[in-house]
Amino acid sequence: MIHATRRRALALGSLLLATAAAPAAFAQTAKPTGEPVLIGVSGPLTGPNAQYGAQWKKGFDLALDEINASGGINGRPLAYQFEDSQSDPRQAVAIAQKFVADPKIVFEIGDFSSPASMASSPIYQRAGLVQFGFTNSHPDFTKGGDFMWSNSLTQAEEQPQVAQYAVKELGLKRVAVLHLNTDWGRTSKDILVKAVRDFGAEVVATEGYLPEEKDFRSTLVRVRDANPDGLLLISYYADAALIARQLKATGLNKPVVAVGSIYSPKLIELGGDAVNGIYTNSQFFPEDPRPEVQTFVKSYIAKYGAEPDAFAARAYDTVILAGHVFRQYGTERRAIRDGLAEIKDVPSVIFGKATFDKETRRVVGAQNARLVIKDGKFVVWDRSAIPTR
Amino acid sequence: MTSWLDHTINGLIVGNIYALLAVGLALIFGVSRLINFAHGSVYVVGAYIGWVAVAHLHTPLPVTILLVAAGSALLGLLIERFGLRPLQGSTKIAPLLATIGISFVLDQIVQIVFTPDPRALPSQLPDWRFQIGGGTIGALDILIAAIGFTSAVLLFGFLRFTKLGWAVRATAQDRDAARQMGVDVDQVNRIVFAIASALGGLSGLLVGMYYNYIDPAMSFQATLKGVVAEVVGGVGNIPGAIVGSLILGLVESYGIALLGTSYRNLFAFILLVVILVLRPNGLFASKRQLPPEPLTGTFIAPSKPVPLPTPALLAALAVAAVLPLVIAQPYLLQTLTNAWLYALLGISLTLIAGTVGQISLGHAALLAIGGYTSALLTLDLGVPVGLSILAAGFVAAGLGTLLAWPAFRLRGHYVTIATLAIGEIVSLAILNWESLTRGPIGVFGIPPISLFGYPIESARAVYWFTLAILAVLAALQLRLLRSHLGRAWRAVRDDDVAARSYGIALDRYKALAFITGGFAAGISGGVTSHLYSFINHETFNAQLSILALTIVILGGMGNVFGAIVGSVLLIGLPEVFRVAAEYRVLIYGLVLLLLIRFRPQGLFGTV
Repeated sequence: MIHATRRRALALGSLLLATAAAPAAFAQTAKPTGEPVLIGVSGPLTGPNAQYGAQWKKGFDLALDEINASGGINGRPLAYQFEDSQSDPRQAVAIAQKFVADPKIVFEIGDFSSPASMASSPIYQRAGLVQFGFTNSHPDFTKGGDFMWSNSLTQAEEQPQVAQYAVKELGLKRVAVLHLNTDWGRTSKDILVKAVRDFGAEVVATEGYLPEEKDFRSTLVRVRDANPDGLLLISYYADAALIARQLKATGLNKPVVAVGSIYSPKLIELGGDAVNGIYTNSQFFPEDPRPEVQTFVKSYIAKYGAEPDAFAARAYDTVILAGHVFRQYGTERRAIRDGLAEIKDVPSVIFGKATFDKETRRVVGAQNARLVIKDGKFVVWDRSAIPTR
Repeated sequence: MTSWLDHTINGLIVGNIYALLAVGLALIFGVSRLINFAHGSVYVVGAYIGWVAVAHLHTPLPVTILLVAAGSALLGLLIERFGLRPLQGSTKIAPLLATIGISFVLDQIVQIVFTPDPRALPSQLPDWRFQIGGGTIGALDILIAAIGFTSAVLLFGFLRFTKLGWAVRATAQDRDAARQMGVDVDQVNRIVFAIASALGGLSGLLVGMYYNYIDPAMSFQATLKGVVAEVVGGVGNIPGAIVGSLILGLVESYGIALLGTSYRNLFAFILLVVILVLRPNGLFASKRQLPPEPLTGTFIAPSKPVPLPTPALLAALAVAAVLPLVIAQPYLLQTLTNAWLYALLGISLTLIAGTVGQISLGHAALLAIGGYTSALLTLDLGVPVGLSILAAGFVAAGLGTLLAWPAFRLRGHYVTIATLAIGEIVSLAILNWESLTRGPIGVFGIPPISLFGYPIESARAVYWFTLAILAVLAALQLRLLRSHLGRAWRAVRDDDVAARSYGIALDRYKALAFITGGFAAGISGGVTSHLYSFINHETFNAQLSILALTIVILGGMGNVFGAIVGSVLLIGLPEVFRVAAEYRVLIYGLVLLLLIRFRPQGLFGTV
């Protein structure tokens, strides 16, 4: 899919470069002044999910740098106000009231977890402020009302790709599925299991585990007893690394295919040698030659001195998208909602080009790169290199 | 059959890890009669000291171990000196809360310094692996076992055969008598905290290396598992703690083998409750052992409540009622609505913990039961919202009392641990009982509050609705406290032996308290679910139970008005500190510590 879209993306990307990514060359652009256009962000900066909030900020700041370096929102600077909810629904609800009552806030992003996001949805919906959840893959999130939008990948789209990779490309016949037992993991698992069966393979075991789980040895023995020829992981990078390391300890040497959410440099850091050979589908991959991606990765590394992960990419994408909507449709709350439905082909790291489906209020058509970890690096998977296991 | 061997080995490996935590906790409990909730934080700090040593100083393993042990011991000394020693002579509950406050502060400092991102802590041992059964064990497994075992043997010898060890044991048996015999009790405390913290930090290092993974959020789970293991072995019993840990590991592993990974903690907590009910002193307590709890009447500080005349209360209510007319800011009203909902939880807990003396750390379970009851009744059975909230109150009262029943025969800290476990069991049951609760997906689309067909949606309407419920239930509780029932409850708290000899049936009065308290909490949960329109098993989590207890202590045990003010303050403070996002929990923890230090009887005193 990367190849198919590359040419179009190239043209698009050079456009993006011209407008956004080259502040030095476009220094004559007037510095945005006046009252900033304010985005409200409700997310975790403390508490158990604080690490994701920290990634968000990095992605947001990078996007703001770009937008404000190229004239802001029609001459006004773009800014965000980040309120720490700890991803706790009570605090998210209070923050929602704060945001909807503040006329300066024209657009809201977050929250991180489904309980927190969906608890505050009724408030945003009633007040007519767009709640944009970029991590909310919960199938019911955008059903909260016509002000709930998301560019998070739906599981209905991602999981069949994982199943195809595992069954069609890698030729697995009997798979075991390990999934996070959260709303996201559970929804993903149901779709993945169905897709695997549709492709003609068998699911011999499914195991849900809690997010704070660290020890998988007993789980893996259970999986081993089901005698699979491969493992599918619906995990984040941290738990995927833990599972990979413990595979060896339980004597389970089977290929592992994981969903795109494991994509992070941290996976390699935490998993060490044990993650070598893991296959994954990723919507974001820094070596992806598309210029949107290269622009993002280069400026991210320049600003933070580290490689971005998928969370930062999504955060960045979201603010870039918001910037495009504001520029084209103005900064009135209702106009922004209508703009989201209208806007077409916004350049995006994750989607190539993002356009919303008016009915589901989600974006379809994410990029999909097939990767494998080789010698501690994510590389594009090459069909000819199928290991003969 | 080989898989059973593998499950056994896996259980022992995990148990091995728990043992390192449990030994430290047992040591501290043995001397200070204190469940050290900061132990998990010391474990985290130890892990990060190890990370700095390995990643930046490139120290070899023995030096790393020494650095971690020394650093953690120092931290233990600081905790003892500045967190706990000033609380000597105050109520038994004060140090327990102080350790909760300390753990907030420490976890947050670690998070600010090292960022919340997980880090890799590479093992410095060679990667030897030995084939056992279908799996393998590595050099690190053996090192962990060796350190756990050696430290237990050393401690056991130290306590049994050295003069200082005798002093420690004497202090454990009777602090005042030991002091009269010339034992420097503070010195003993210092030594115990240093040793226990060194062990705690070391276990953080080893567990971090074992998983090649550390993050600041791992502290709560560590405390929880350590406490369970310790209780299974018998609180304060060091060899017991090791055996208890191994048993816990085995039970978890077999539990997973039988039912699946999601059931791990369910088995752990059911084991805990069973042990508490059948052998509250742990599996290895000798019959002659003194009851490890303080005798009655000392757990909660007797103090004079601040007098609050009825007109003043009514005036406060009137101010609260007209507030939305003056302030139209929905954010403020929402925050206060949250405060009223917490206050319902607070008056519920202040009755159970303060008036009857059953310090519960599982109170969020009552909210969860109420929330799910009301949500499912409206969605699945089409019950109108007002009625469903009422039903939520009744179900929470009934089910909550039944669930707490095993804890009725327990006293003091044991009640706390048992209720903590029961709370976790409820949350895990909600997660796993998918046909009823929809499991991890949660319940979505819960209708908004309405009464007799009138929707209650605006911030103002919801504010008045919750305030009205709170006012009615608080008034009811105040009335009950002045009645015969209230006196009987306080008698149970102050001296249960004396109460029983006066013919008060302890279980029945405790049940009455749980019914009354469960009703208020259930209503609060019910309203919450309609307010949020979405709940899942994480909506009402263990942190909430800790917050509820903090509210109660802050207001003054058993003090209804205190619980309301406490919840306004504790819900308001984080909002005030929201500007200082990263430092918010830190400030919150410090405020908690200062309160416990300077006003342990709470703002309004025990009733």
